This record gives sequence, structure tokens and C-alpha cells, in this order.
Amino acid sequence: MEYMLLLHVDESGWPKLSKAEQEQGMAAYRAYTEALKQAGVYKSGSQLGPSSSAKTIRLAGGGQQVLDGPYADAKEQVGGYYLIETPDLESAVSWAARCPTVGHGVVEVRQLVR
Amino acid sequence: MKYILLDYVNESGWPELTREEQAQWLGVYRAYMEAMQKAGVLKSSGGLQQTQTATTVRIRNDKTEVLDGPYADAKEQLGGFHIIDVPDLDAALSWAARSPTSLHGVVEVRPMHEGTFLTENILNYLKAR
Repeated sequence: MEYMLLLHVDESGWPKLSKAEQEQGMAAYRAYTEALKQAGVYKSGSQLGPSSSAKTIRLAGGGQQVLDGPYADAKEQVGGYYLIETPDLESAVSWAARCPTVGHGVVEVRQLVR
Repeated sequence: MKYILLDYVNESGWPELTREEQAQWLGVYRAYMEAMQKAGVLKSSGGLQQTQTATTVRIRNDKTEVLDGPYADAKEQLGGFHIIDVPDLDAALSWAARSPTSLHGVVEVRPMHEGTFLTENILNYLKAR
């Protein structure tokens, strides 16, 4: 089964970290990605540009409207994702629990339609 | 440049459609994806199961919390995504504007940073110093 791990993070926290803390954070994500790859569950993943760089497109009053900013204005923003392939939801959730994001944000696990 | 198009849709609308209407929408989405494929911009895409099947995981006070349901409880829910490779944001926006989702939901366009997580942030941080 394929699952998407959506990483919801508070973007404003990053610039407040010291350089050493940021390096530690990067290393944690590198190690996690490496662990996913070694276990053979990693399909793809990426960090996303800041939500301030997002644009949303919708139909409004008969025409399409392009607005600056993300769709949802929540406390945390989608900052990245992983696509993984695991036998079931339980193992997907246990991988999510190992993601560094759970320490400072929220990981949402969604199964893909195939 | 790679961009992700995030499709936010009202899930509750789908079961209310007739079978003919559902078939029509599926055809429209197929045509959209074929157009992106022909243009050579579509890298991957996926549909997500309904948000009632979502699980969220976080650690609070040293305890791992696993909860049923999606992170955000908004009017529309993330229902799928397309990853496209196009020259610039304008091209990404024009593909987003052709998405059937923009007719009944919202398409969010976000640039992607490939490779190591947080790398880009670190670079911006160092440049600012």
C-alpha cells in the first residue's frame, strides 16, 4: 500500500533556531530519509517552498481567480511530504512516528487510491 | 522547476453525483492528465483516500499521540496531487488553471525543493547573515 506522509510544520520556528540547532535538524531529516531508503519503503519525498510562495486557483464569479498564499491558513503549514510503500496502515504510522516532524509539528498519514 | 499542484476538494460532493456525472468528471480528469503527459510536464500524480481514513502523529510531552482524522478540518480536503516540471511559475499556474479541480475546489501551487530536507532554508539563512 502507498501512503503519503504530509509534514505539517510551523515555518516561523526555523529562523529562530541557532545554526547548531538547524544543522541538528537537517541531520535528523537526512537520517530519517536514509532509514526509509534502507528499509526499502521510500518512494519519493520533497521539501516544499514556503507557504508564502504558494498560489491558489479557484473559480469565482465565472472566471478563474489566482490568489497569493496557501489554501489553508492554519497554525502549521505543509512543509514537505514523503511517499512510502508499506504493507499496512500500522507500519505507515510507525514510520510516521519516527519522522523528526512529530517532535515539532504533525505528520498526517493518508493512503493513496490505486 | 518542479511544482506540486495540491487539489483541495469537497469530499462530500462526490457521493451526491449521479453515476453519469461521476463518469463525466473521471473523463475530464483523465483528459487533463493526458494533456499534461503529452506536454511532457507530468512527473507523477496520486489520489488520496478520504480524510476519514487519515491518521495524525505527533509527540507532545514526550508521548507519541496517534489520532484518527486529518490535520486540518477545513471546508475542502486534500484529495490528490500532481507533480509537474515546467520552466517557471507562470507555466505552473496555467496548468493549475486548466485543472478540473479549479472548477469545483481549489488548486494550491507550491514550488518543490528536491534533495535533502531543509537545505534551501539553511542556504537562505546563511545568505541572510
